Amino acid sequence: MALYSVKQIVLQSCPVLIFCIVVALAAGHILSSSIQEIAELPLILAMVLLINGIGGNIGSILGARLTSALHLGTLEPRLRGQRVLRGNVAASVLISIIIFSLIGVALFAIACLSGISITSSLSLALAFFIAGMALSAAVMFVTIASAFVSFRGGLDPDNMVIPIVTAIGDVLGVTFLLMAIKIVGM
Amino acid sequence: MAKAVDVRSVVAQGLSGLLPGTLIMLVAGGFFVGMEKYFTTILPGLIMAVPPLLGLRGNINGALASRLGTGLNSGLIRPRLELSAEIKINLVSSLILSVIASATIGAFAFGINVLTGAPTIGVLELIVIAVLAGFISGLILAFLTVLVAITSYARGWDPDNVTSPAMAAIGDFVTIVCIYLAVLLVV
Repeated sequence: MALYSVKQIVLQSCPVLIFCIVVALAAGHILSSSIQEIAELPLILAMVLLINGIGGNIGSILGARLTSALHLGTLEPRLRGQRVLRGNVAASVLISIIIFSLIGVALFAIACLSGISITSSLSLALAFFIAGMALSAAVMFVTIASAFVSFRGGLDPDNMVIPIVTAIGDVLGVTFLLMAIKIVGM
Repeated sequence: MAKAVDVRSVVAQGLSGLLPGTLIMLVAGGFFVGMEKYFTTILPGLIMAVPPLLGLRGNINGALASRLGTGLNSGLIRPRLELSAEIKINLVSSLILSVIASATIGAFAFGINVLTGAPTIGVLELIVIAVLAGFISGLILAFLTVLVAITSYARGWDPDNVTSPAMAAIGDFVTIVCIYLAVLLVV
């Protein structure tokens, strides 16, 4: 009995992948048009990696937990009265606050050590934290929406949710970060 | 009756995957910052392909991790390190997807660079760098994903909480290193 098939996985993944590539290319384009800023402050590259990585992780943990719960039947694809959903969202918010604060502190230290002034380092860390929290809110929304919509549509959310969430997270991560750096000012 | 979620244990397990991951990401970040000259001057236009290449790991390995998590949690996949038919199918599919997707990334990145008038290296160079980086990192990461999912399940951890974050962190690092390797091979 074949439980999985290469053809099914590849065919079901391809449209999502292409969609994700196109979305991620938007992130690439934003980076590419900020190449001047990157040349002046290469640390932005590390910050992009971190914010997108963590944003993707938060969405992936939530997505993986929601898809398993949907498959097991402990979660129904609607918003009202879902304790499993509420608990998972609360956990994701807590994880975001803890992790983005920690990285903010680490970034502050790294920026100071690399010779950036203390006020600018503080601004950078603050920008990172603000962008991170905005990103995790957006990512949680996209995760829940894509899990529910794909499950209702009869598609395996395991193949859909994480790709969609990481791709949209990448674009929003880069966008929020560069916006936050501009707002906080360097 | 749906059981309530133990928020504390989700947070603790999530963070235990995320924290080491964050350290690896910081190292990857350092590597990325070190490649700055390649993006700004030596290989203009290459940076366009970086977010999609990094995203591939989440897409392909994240989906692989998620399928393995569901398979292990529901008993479809045995928690043993063996090349069973289920695991082989999952591995082969993600490698095929890696190659198709990387080639597409190279071609699309070139197209958008041309359309937006951004300075760019040639289309072949971009595709070769993307496919090399995508395939090598895909190969390494697909095997690691299976390893992490099965070992974490065998240890009594929920692979849903451990595999994706662990692989996402290692994934960025491996992908950045593979992009660097591909760049060195091509330049």
